[in-house]
Amino acid sequence: MSRVNDVGGQTGFGPVVVEEDEPVFHADWEARVYALNIALVRRGVYTLDEFRDAIERMPPQAYLAASYYERWLHAIEVLTAERGDAERGGDE
Amino acid sequence: MSEPVAVRFAPGDRVRTRAVDPDRHTRLPAYARGRTGRVLAVTGSWPLADDVARRRAEPRVEPVYTVVFAARDLWGEGEHDVTLDLWQSYLERPEGTGDGPGPYGRKKEAVS
Amino acid sequence: MSGEHTSSAVAARVRRLEERLIGEGLVTDGELDAVLTAVLEGASPLNGARVVARAWSDAGFRERLLADANAALPEVGLSMAGGLQEQRLKVVANTAGHHNVLVCTLCSCYPVALLGPSPSWYKSEAYRSRVVREPRAVLAEFGLELPDGQEITVWDSSAESRYMVLPRRPAGTGDLTEEQLAELVTREGLIGTAAL
Repeated sequence: MSRVNDVGGQTGFGPVVVEEDEPVFHADWEARVYALNIALVRRGVYTLDEFRDAIERMPPQAYLAASYYERWLHAIEVLTAERGDAERGGDE
Repeated sequence: MSEPVAVRFAPGDRVRTRAVDPDRHTRLPAYARGRTGRVLAVTGSWPLADDVARRRAEPRVEPVYTVVFAARDLWGEGEHDVTLDLWQSYLERPEGTGDGPGPYGRKKEAVS
Repeated sequence: MSGEHTSSAVAARVRRLEERLIGEGLVTDGELDAVLTAVLEGASPLNGARVVARAWSDAGFRERLLADANAALPEVGLSMAGGLQEQRLKVVANTAGHHNVLVCTLCSCYPVALLGPSPSWYKSEAYRSRVVREPRAVLAEFGLELPDGQEITVWDSSAESRYMVLPRRPAGTGDLTEEQLAELVTREGLIGTAAL
């Protein structure tokens, strides 16, 4: 039951496309997402392994349709929401 | 975190990856499951990613090995090598090589 | 391609998330700015290039670097401890008979401390799926035609080690200073998708 991220050896993704003179971030929101993730891991809100897991849990169609930092955004939303749910659950 | 488990393999040892097929987070790619390779290096001991991702209170801490595979053993063809960094519980000794201590205590490998 | 509309919708989603997390006390604006400043000013392939130039100029350093890169990096004022956690670094040397190339098939592990954030192609499914299976064909697409018989090792980073390629020193560079040598080193050379 390999997950959608586990692409080593798969066929069909086509040639490797290289963007000439690529900027580090393509939009300001990508930089914000990048910074959010590092800050949240540093704070111990979640670990990098949980973060990777949250990306891998995306439905395959959504994973493949999303850009790299859209996947990050999704994972941060999911993990911080799950954390909130767990805390609310603990109050019961 | 748990106490680190003892190092079981040494550089030069032949190892076989487990043919497990979990639907949760793991760092053993599908292309290298149930495959035989050789230990290149012991990289230190690290919390098992599978456990950390599942928020286990006491993740297992295991040695992680750089293991090299021949392309032919992964894909049935190819001349190159591929390496992976694999936690100890992903690995076992290939059948017929016994469970003796490495690196000099290995028995002869079975011819398959 | 995503149009302006989609892009602004994502930007709005990020703003909402950021506001929520700041409101919950999980991050501050200052922390986010500090992270970005550190990445944009500190992490770039110039770091990796300095390591390579030193290794080309100093055989002793090269030996120490290949044996234990974490221990050798402080000699050039660098370290792998600046990120989220200290990572093990392994530097792999290209030779006349052996070429090395890096990938992370499961996600996008990359030596950010030495190379900066990775390029999009490194994170693409096309690269991740193919380079472990047919490295020669992928490298040829990058314009790197390896001679027949040259051995290739593909390093798939799957745990807490990060890798960097030590490219071969170009011919005819015997007179160059370390600073001049560093200018010859490209990010693709450090990943292994180009020779220098």
